[in-house]
Amino acid sequence: MSQEVILKMEGITKLFPGVKALDKVDLELRKGEILAVIGENGAGKSTLMKVLLGIHPADEGTIVYKGEKVQFSSPLDALNKGIAMIHQEISLIPTMDVAENIWLGREKETMRHGMISKKGRYEKTDEFLKQMDIDLDPKALVRTLSVAKMQMVELVRAASYNADVIIMDEPTSALANEEIEILYRVVRDLKKQGVSIIFISHKLEEIFEICDRVSVYRDGHYISTNDVKDITQAQLVNMIVGRSITNQFPKMEANIGDVVLEVRDFNSAGVFKNVNFQVRKGEILGISGLVGAGRTEIMRALFGADPKDSGHVYVDGQEVKIHSPKDAITCGISMLTEDRMRTGSIYALSVKQNTTIANFREYCSKGIGVIHSKKENKAFEEQRGKMEVKCASEKQLISELSGGNQQKVLIGRWLLTRPKVLIIDEPTRGIDVGSKSEIHKAISQLACEGMAVIMISSELPEILGMSDRILVVRHGEIVFECDRKEATQENLITHAFGAEAESA
Amino acid sequence: MAKNQEKKSFFESPVGSFLLQNKALAILVVFMISVACISPIFLTPSNLLNLIRQIAYSAILGAGYTMILSSGHIDLSIGCEVGLVGVIMGKALVADLPIPVAILIGLVSAVLLSSLNAVLINLLDLPPFIITLATMNVFKGACYIYTKMVPVSNLPAAFNAIGQDYTFGIPNQVYIMVFMMLVIAFILYKTKFGRYSLAIGGNAEAARLSGINVKMMRIGIYALMGLYVGVAAMTLTARSASAQVSAGQNTEMDAIAAVVMGGTPMSGGSANVVGTFFGCLIVGVINNGLNLMGVDSNWQLVAKGLMILFAISLDVISTNVTRNMSKKKMA
Repeated sequence: MSQEVILKMEGITKLFPGVKALDKVDLELRKGEILAVIGENGAGKSTLMKVLLGIHPADEGTIVYKGEKVQFSSPLDALNKGIAMIHQEISLIPTMDVAENIWLGREKETMRHGMISKKGRYEKTDEFLKQMDIDLDPKALVRTLSVAKMQMVELVRAASYNADVIIMDEPTSALANEEIEILYRVVRDLKKQGVSIIFISHKLEEIFEICDRVSVYRDGHYISTNDVKDITQAQLVNMIVGRSITNQFPKMEANIGDVVLEVRDFNSAGVFKNVNFQVRKGEILGISGLVGAGRTEIMRALFGADPKDSGHVYVDGQEVKIHSPKDAITCGISMLTEDRMRTGSIYALSVKQNTTIANFREYCSKGIGVIHSKKENKAFEEQRGKMEVKCASEKQLISELSGGNQQKVLIGRWLLTRPKVLIIDEPTRGIDVGSKSEIHKAISQLACEGMAVIMISSELPEILGMSDRILVVRHGEIVFECDRKEATQENLITHAFGAEAESA
Repeated sequence: MAKNQEKKSFFESPVGSFLLQNKALAILVVFMISVACISPIFLTPSNLLNLIRQIAYSAILGAGYTMILSSGHIDLSIGCEVGLVGVIMGKALVADLPIPVAILIGLVSAVLLSSLNAVLINLLDLPPFIITLATMNVFKGACYIYTKMVPVSNLPAAFNAIGQDYTFGIPNQVYIMVFMMLVIAFILYKTKFGRYSLAIGGNAEAARLSGINVKMMRIGIYALMGLYVGVAAMTLTARSASAQVSAGQNTEMDAIAAVVMGGTPMSGGSANVVGTFFGCLIVGVINNGLNLMGVDSNWQLVAKGLMILFAISLDVISTNVTRNMSKKKMA
């Protein structure tokens, strides 16, 4: 790796009315390196990127790119000069094919005889794909592709601008493990070709796996930059949160009691089959497996969110019939769903209204249901304190909160239903390290108070760190069960991938 | 740049932020001043009373519509339903049924017709837009067939008094309008039903997963809309002393315009009942003003369309200003 600096941002200060979003922040990117940019939500990472791309001009500070002082007027301006950004949300047009998406807005470059040419477009795309050694069909419609493949298309598009700098914002958050490997390979190839990459991520393992250096930001300040090989994960966590998290998974020993929930013979054609399991009071049951193995589907069926073909549910030994989430809540089963944006937060409502919605009838009079505001406020304040939700006021819209805080609000929502069994699906996906640890602590605390917790997670450290017992789901079946002591990363992965992996 | 910053600080001042939250009121004042400057008759008590009588009907519909939009639904059928319910009520009246019974028949049929929309949306799992587009045509046709295109007139004077007489110098319709607006505001802001419908408007899937029976709620929401359609049909029929076969047609569009101008977003999740009242007043002032100015009725349509466009664009601009401000606060 050369020491040549391609991009240097120095002393960047950005003021928003009432807030200093960035305070004399630096960033240095060398040619052909992968630089991790890390920090909690609200640390200033995205603002810094917006300053770089010219979305928000800096109030102070300089940007030097390829030896010249620059000030981009817009992301397009930056792109034309060789800086491309791949956003967390995929921004492709699903009804167009791969090649069309790559050359969108630059059809001129693939024209033949002054006219749009399919042949020209496909040939030029093939050229790029070969060069980058990526297995993609230029004629495939984007909507038929997996998320990982879409990310590849975004990468090829960025590279096709002959970008010298590519910024990737949490590229792996929606990917399954095997897809992440492919992404890593492509990123490493780009690096070999001399492209510099800024990698924004919340996953520490990822930084140690693929990045050369890591720059840490906190509360709008630049903290430090280190070679990845010189620091440990614990040191990095300390720099990020500015306090030491002694135990990343603050698992407390809970007294495990009687069976609260039993699921028998759950079946849903083509989704899952012969699912049987139990959960006990005070137990955290981890559900592991690959994305798409049917973990979420089983739990959604249990919660009544999706229909099932057959199966029985017993709560405290009594059989219960669950046909809707409403039935499930009444029986003492609550579920924090996986996709916070689509199925959790109600963006148009306030933090308070979001917190109290699942057991709202408790704050209303019988009959016509007049709201008893005092009761509602009291319940909200209680959860706000318990979950340590950071919000300006009860009236603040939930959409204005960070991901971690929204998640705390949603956990609070379910706690108010006083569930016997709490199902949580990917509780810390896309959440910063500090909030993550607070959420883990809260989950552990709930188990200590006697709640049974079922936790679906794709992050093995989370499963291993939190669970008392672990089930592995593959192709819609429970293929492996083990308790905390027996569980290792290896045996979970082996069973998640199944026989193919075992024989390999 | 400097000018830009000045503008931002204006919207953060108390006056500016009040205007941002009550855009409809601001627009209304602008329109009223303009009309008053052009026509000296506008601000006379008799004209203002006339104006409020004209908007009572649309404000009642708008009140119900505030709930429909804020719960993330839409209803294109209400205009034609007003016509149908009006003739049902009228036929009952000319059949010499007691007035309260005839009104009750009208209200019940309105609730049933509107609930039908919700039942169809639930059963067929189709968007409200499509279902109510279909029922709109059914209601319109049913009304024509039922009346053989002949309006129902010779209604009892005691019934017409609802829309024509005054109590303590104020038109009876105004009392009905105020009552109906207070009721919807109470439901939306102070009851479980209101909170649930806002939650459904904000995110129907999240609401369902929070244990809300979305299908039942939908029937309730449309049934309530039906009640408002019934009351609106009653006042309209009484005011014109007859049930016209094409009464109410296209008023759904005025209702949508008024509600949106009032600050209830078409995307659902929040409701502004007071804003709806101002929105209805804006549409009323436009109509009234153009009449006073003696504008040709065809040109009135064009002018009304342009002014609605103007008012809603202002609304979009101010919403963007608010959003940018809150974004900056967060960053």
